[in-house]
Amino acid sequence: MSKTIEIKVPDIGDFSDVPVIEVLVAAGDRVQAEDGLVTLESDKATMEVPSPAAGVIRELRLKLDDTVSEGDVVAVLEVEEEPAQAASEEAPAPAEEAPEPAPAQAQAEPAAEDAAEPANSEPAPGHPAAPAAAPRDDEDPERGLDAADLSEERLTGADAVAPSKVPYASPSVRRFARELGVNLARVGGSGDKGRILREDVTAHVKSVMSGEGAGPAPAGAAAIGGLRLNFPERPEVDFSRYGETERQPLSRIQKISAGHLHRNWIGVPHVTQHDEADVTDMEAFRLANAEEAQAQGFKLTPLVFLIKAMVASLKKFPRFNASLDTDGETLVLKKYYNIGIAVDTPDGLVVPVLQNCERKGIMELAAELAEVSARAREKKLKPQDIQGGCISISSLGGIGGTGFTPIINAPEVAILGVSRSRMQPVWNGEEFRPRLMLPLSLSYDHRVIDGAAAARFTRFLASRLEDLRRLTL
Amino acid sequence: MSPDSVSTDRQFDFDVVVLGAGPGGYTAAFRAADLGQRVALVERYPVLGGVCLNVGCIPSKALLHTARVIDEAASMEAHGIRFGQPQIDLDKLRAFKDGVVGKLTGGLANMARQRKVEVIQGRASFSGPHELEIGSAEGQRKLSFAHAIVAVGSQSLELSGMPWGDPRLMDSTDALELEEIPGRLLVVGGGIIGLEMACVFEALGSKVTVVELTPTLMPGTDPDLVRPLQRRIEKRYAAIHLETRVKRVDIADDALVAHFEGKHEGREGFDRVLVAVGRTPNGGKINAGAAGLEVSDRGFIEVDRQMRTNVPHIFAIGDVVGPPMLAHKATHEGKVAAEVCAGEKSAFDARVIPSVAYTDPEVAWVGVTETEAKAEGLKYGVGKFPWVASGRALGIDRPEGLTKLLFDEATRRIIGAGIVGPQAGDLIAECALAIEMGAEAADIGLTIHPHPTLSESVAMAAEAYEGTITDLYIPRKK
Repeated sequence: MSKTIEIKVPDIGDFSDVPVIEVLVAAGDRVQAEDGLVTLESDKATMEVPSPAAGVIRELRLKLDDTVSEGDVVAVLEVEEEPAQAASEEAPAPAEEAPEPAPAQAQAEPAAEDAAEPANSEPAPGHPAAPAAAPRDDEDPERGLDAADLSEERLTGADAVAPSKVPYASPSVRRFARELGVNLARVGGSGDKGRILREDVTAHVKSVMSGEGAGPAPAGAAAIGGLRLNFPERPEVDFSRYGETERQPLSRIQKISAGHLHRNWIGVPHVTQHDEADVTDMEAFRLANAEEAQAQGFKLTPLVFLIKAMVASLKKFPRFNASLDTDGETLVLKKYYNIGIAVDTPDGLVVPVLQNCERKGIMELAAELAEVSARAREKKLKPQDIQGGCISISSLGGIGGTGFTPIINAPEVAILGVSRSRMQPVWNGEEFRPRLMLPLSLSYDHRVIDGAAAARFTRFLASRLEDLRRLTL
Repeated sequence: MSPDSVSTDRQFDFDVVVLGAGPGGYTAAFRAADLGQRVALVERYPVLGGVCLNVGCIPSKALLHTARVIDEAASMEAHGIRFGQPQIDLDKLRAFKDGVVGKLTGGLANMARQRKVEVIQGRASFSGPHELEIGSAEGQRKLSFAHAIVAVGSQSLELSGMPWGDPRLMDSTDALELEEIPGRLLVVGGGIIGLEMACVFEALGSKVTVVELTPTLMPGTDPDLVRPLQRRIEKRYAAIHLETRVKRVDIADDALVAHFEGKHEGREGFDRVLVAVGRTPNGGKINAGAAGLEVSDRGFIEVDRQMRTNVPHIFAIGDVVGPPMLAHKATHEGKVAAEVCAGEKSAFDARVIPSVAYTDPEVAWVGVTETEAKAEGLKYGVGKFPWVASGRALGIDRPEGLTKLLFDEATRRIIGAGIVGPQAGDLIAECALAIEMGAEAADIGLTIHPHPTLSESVAMAAEAYEGTITDLYIPRKK
């Protein structure tokens, strides 16, 4: 018999339950080593899982729109060639005995039973949440009922019975919960030794419906910290009554961004501080060195100077390089300087992160920025490319505008918006001089940063841009 | 949105069409009909019931009962009761077996009528996502459906190098036909099906040889559960060849000559050869591609917990979705699929599926096996009750039995069970219920079991784990 190996999902960073957005091979296909088998899309990055060796795909263990995590089996690869009759040779095991484990034992997490969970598109580690509920469900009415839960593979073997992995509830209670879309992993049991009773499921549903629990609030009403928000429901408008319309589905990236942006907009008290930096000298310096960069194959953009100035500013004002702990009571200060850069791609907004910018020179950053932006547009970002950011920069300078309110990329606590620089008359005390002024808009999390600090931070950042020599201080 | 909305507009001939009338298929059809669906049940054979009722579980159990009575009557000699050699009227035995099958399949046809399930005889193949073609002697017929449930089952795996076509070479279906009682029978495959048929023919008078490729009978089963069975049949059968394969079978004038290789080499003549090396799914025979339905190279159809295939309105259940290939798994899945078709939020949520070999002694297990528990590194404890300490087991002269329960050490909840001995298949049901309910060792031990029964052994095994047993003496560990 020839050798078969299981090809597993490699390290994809801190992500779990990422969707398979493309299946590149079929069972029976012959593949070469490093050939792509499937494409996975985590939050905003895509990656291919390559074949570790040449051979024939014997079995594909996942399909389009499945969600996978590190270690899940993608396919079974037969490394050598197998004579055709081998399959019909004497099979050692009788049929009734299931010689082979059912195809996917991988889903060990009981929380996968979830249905009541609010759509939380942030795939936090160890929390196999909802991204599976994403696009396919709403496009397919047949799958409308809690497909995130019910389309899971069934548990087999020890995973199906081990008390540490399954809820302590009888079959009838499990069915009751399933019908109500309740994830038993979230229900406390009031029975003997924590057994989950029918009443516990009912009580859980009641608490969720009344807004006490973590469940989704009824449409139009929400209660946050004693503030009762009660909006009138958004009217359903048939726009086609007023003229021709066209329906266009959002891309996956747009849908994910939408969720994040909305959460951050509502969840973070934003204030935006505006300032201007005189970048006349910086621009002269940049143009003087542009040719050298061009010779090395990349453009020297103003953005890299902003990155360097940002690093200097973060060092001066450590609270800007921080995140509020989830308990809301502790600030986590970071001693590294990773800067996220918002990149506009045809599929939507992505924010690749340049790592350890404090250790990199202007030219090195320029080269890296060009490379990562290109990959972002080609949809080739890896999960690692978009992780670990400390603060983000969103530049619309290439387009225009005099200022805007960027939305903070939480859990970061600030974001710098950059608009288009313009030659302006600037009073130097004696006369108006034509100076190139760059508008800066810093949105900050007012829970962490107060207004004076934000004004100082922005001024400090501008001062570094105004005299690049200060960056060396 | 409920899938119901599809069916109410009546744009299709049927709300649900079930392909295959085995235990999974007819259960799905009946459940769907009971939930108000307009249902068709397509079956290629003129009788309902599939392999299980016609040529599997049911006829084999009828014959196993016969075998057991023959063996028990013979064993009475040791108790001073001599019955003499049994006179076997094979035609009458076959008629009894066929009568049992007939009662059940006839009952199914009746119930289909009562439920207004339209039974259609013919071979179904997909001709589109919502359309089937039924081919039969009367010609072709097309029908359309809102939902389909594929329950086309499996068939015996045929080994290469065998003279298929010679009536003396049999699969399990042929063997159950009971054409004759062969003098020398070779059973290829030491799994459940092979050993059950070996048991029948040995009792009827055949000299049985069993050959198995792996080092153990019933591969995958805990060795301590297989051992009592192996000891018993080793004494009775002509030979059991483990780690041996049948390279080929030649036709001689008066015999089929099997060539062995492996641990046992050589060749030997047999009057009949039964091949029971496994079953292969029938997923490849329904033109699945026309509906966009994905079928693996081996013929399996992959489904999710709602038994839904890659085509959202097509479901698959039973053998064709993967092992274990068991009727009771198929019926459970059939109900799930039917309920989902009718818009219910059903899903396959059973934690365990019991397995039973109806050999003599019977071997049954459910949940985690001890082999699996070790391999997975589970923190588990074992409660064992050997039947030698059971008055009832001694009374029926079967002290070789064993009841073994596996518990999670942290919670003391039962996670698996294995039983060997007469009626093990009936006894295992209590263990399955205990696992589904999350029962602890004490829950089982403190439940009063009737005395003297074999069922007591389950409570005793739990007590053995708890350390409260008085029917055995187990020295304290600490």
